[in-house]
Amino acid sequence: MIFSELYGAYYNAVAEILKHAVDHPLEKNELRRIVEKHAFGESILNVEPSLTGEKWQLLRPDGTTPLQSPPSLPLTLIQKRWLASLASDPRIRLFVENPLDFGDVSPLFTPEDLCVFDRYADGDDYADPAYRRNFRLILNAIRNQYPLRIATVNRRGNIARMDVLPKYLEYSEKDDKFRLFCLGHHFRGTVNLGRITCCTRCTRNYRKSFSQGMPPEPGSVTFELTDERNALERVLLHFAHFEKQAEQTGERRFRVTIRYAKEDETELVIRILSFGPMIRVTAPSYFVNLIRERLIRQKNCGL
Amino acid sequence: MAYTELIKNFNRIRDYMREFYVYGFKSRDGFTQKSARSYDDERRRLESWLGDYMQFRQTPAGKTVFLSVDSRLCRHNPLYKAWKTKSFTDGDITLHFILMDIVAQAKEALSVREIMEQTDAYLSGFPDPRLTDESTLRKKLREYVTEGILTTEKHGKSLYYKRTPDTACYDTDVLDFFSEVSCCGVIGSFLLDKADFINGPHRDHFTFKHHYITGAMDSEIVCQLLLAMQEKRGVTLITTGKNRDHISESRVVPLRIMISVQNGRQYLMAFTPGSNRIRSFRTDHILSVTPGEISGRFDELRETLNGMRPHMWGVSTQSRSGRRTEEVTFTVRYEEDEPYIHQRLEREKRCGTVERVDGCTSRFSASVYDASELIPWIRTFLCRITEIHFSNAALEAQFKEDIREMYRLYGLEGGESI
Repeated sequence: MIFSELYGAYYNAVAEILKHAVDHPLEKNELRRIVEKHAFGESILNVEPSLTGEKWQLLRPDGTTPLQSPPSLPLTLIQKRWLASLASDPRIRLFVENPLDFGDVSPLFTPEDLCVFDRYADGDDYADPAYRRNFRLILNAIRNQYPLRIATVNRRGNIARMDVLPKYLEYSEKDDKFRLFCLGHHFRGTVNLGRITCCTRCTRNYRKSFSQGMPPEPGSVTFELTDERNALERVLLHFAHFEKQAEQTGERRFRVTIRYAKEDETELVIRILSFGPMIRVTAPSYFVNLIRERLIRQKNCGL
Repeated sequence: MAYTELIKNFNRIRDYMREFYVYGFKSRDGFTQKSARSYDDERRRLESWLGDYMQFRQTPAGKTVFLSVDSRLCRHNPLYKAWKTKSFTDGDITLHFILMDIVAQAKEALSVREIMEQTDAYLSGFPDPRLTDESTLRKKLREYVTEGILTTEKHGKSLYYKRTPDTACYDTDVLDFFSEVSCCGVIGSFLLDKADFINGPHRDHFTFKHHYITGAMDSEIVCQLLLAMQEKRGVTLITTGKNRDHISESRVVPLRIMISVQNGRQYLMAFTPGSNRIRSFRTDHILSVTPGEISGRFDELRETLNGMRPHMWGVSTQSRSGRRTEEVTFTVRYEEDEPYIHQRLEREKRCGTVERVDGCTSRFSASVYDASELIPWIRTFLCRITEIHFSNAALEAQFKEDIREMYRLYGLEGGESI
């Protein structure tokens, strides 16, 4: 099962301690550093006395261990079953040509067992050989930090070419799309992988000349929420992936502040509209006006 | 009982994590269902596990504690840490590392007696060596065979144990990605810990947008349901109500996990023999899953569910009006330079049809079990809806009244167009 000490932070920290102790007598400072890194804030209060006090008889007073070799654990059955499930996910072929074969281990789940019911239908085409080739080259360039020359097609069908230093890939589960975060000569921005028509390694190495650009502009919006028709739970779950603060202001009234990236403002406006009269934006005023403007236009539609 | 950082039972901390992460506005006094001592212990645990994400705010009602996570900025689901907190005994951890070292050195499978003798030899160097009793060792061996890290051989009437051979695993890029987007991704997180132990810390190359992390808290429940589905087995569910105010037991045949990537909720679709219908259960309302008998009807029931899908917008399989299905149609108007509105309808619809009425007008229509499920989506088109019709008249009236209420909220009351 998943909730097992075999996967626990304490077992991981102790395995790391013993790995070092097999190699050389362990000093207390080293032990503390390992616990701080591999376990939790208060773990040192428990792990250190348990090992040095020989409640856990794994470390001798001189810092050596009776273990003969560094600890190792084969994959558990549930880990193999989970890995075997990945073979039927089309996205695995972005990473590998042939998924791993786990023999007679049956997968934990198959595509028939799961359904993502509200994902957008125009996601990236993971079966496209060119897309897969681009994905692998981009991932390799991110790993090894070399520049790429890419050509993209914009909404109007025009081709744009640029040299970029790729930093990381962002995946949206809702859009089912990957975006590349990269540095260019004059910008720091994103490129949808689905719009890349050509991607090659730059032969010139001009890694140092890429602009660091400006970080994305943050925004925040505050709204009042009335807890009717289970709105409190629906709203807070819906906006759970943002950094947010909620406070109760009345019996069934709440004030919620959400911090978001400015580039996603239009999306946030329509997501707020989706909750109807259960939420009312109160600040900032320009955001209130974005909502008002849409309602004014709606009124003009005659409903 | 004295406070410990580790826990035996996940369900209690699951509730607190949800309160702190999803809601995050209650003060200590607001946690009325549990004692103040219990609140203090759970808060302290979460602070120890997730200190980087814990925040505090002073309000007139008292100090409130909340978990604030921008899931676009953190590359690994921080809530997975809670799954790495299972408590154990001093004997468990001592025996674990010694046992796995013994089987790692052994060239052949070992009997229980041989393992016991070697364990005693490992411990003999300590001034006050721990005694290993045979029944504890046998229990641990059985447990590790079930987990798949030991295998057995039969020699005559005796079982001999050996370490399961190592298996290839994917690289950390695969694990980084799928541990965040795949069902039961916490298992990928365990594999990442293992990879980092072997190779040292890795660099991650992915971030995630629109990323809901709350499902992590239901990982064990979902895992048990998936295991039951693989065996086409019925289960008994213990569930709690929306307000955690009552507990129910249901015997069901689990058929599919339905996942929302727009609010992070996960549901079980299951056949309930009592009501003779397929319905949904929210996984965060399921407290426990007990496997039952294999169901001879599993394939037939799953086929029935497949047949229902074209009429399901979300997970509801029953209308509020009592009709089998409800019809909904709405028309949107847009400018010539806004062709993406039609594309939005096409890509966001989950069922139903979209037709282009003219170059600047499109119409969506669908026949669904529960038309109320579409309302939030329809509202995202506010500012361009020219017509709307629900076969459920009460729903249509509610929709229109809600829009009027929105006009009032933003000071646009009055019936005239502006």
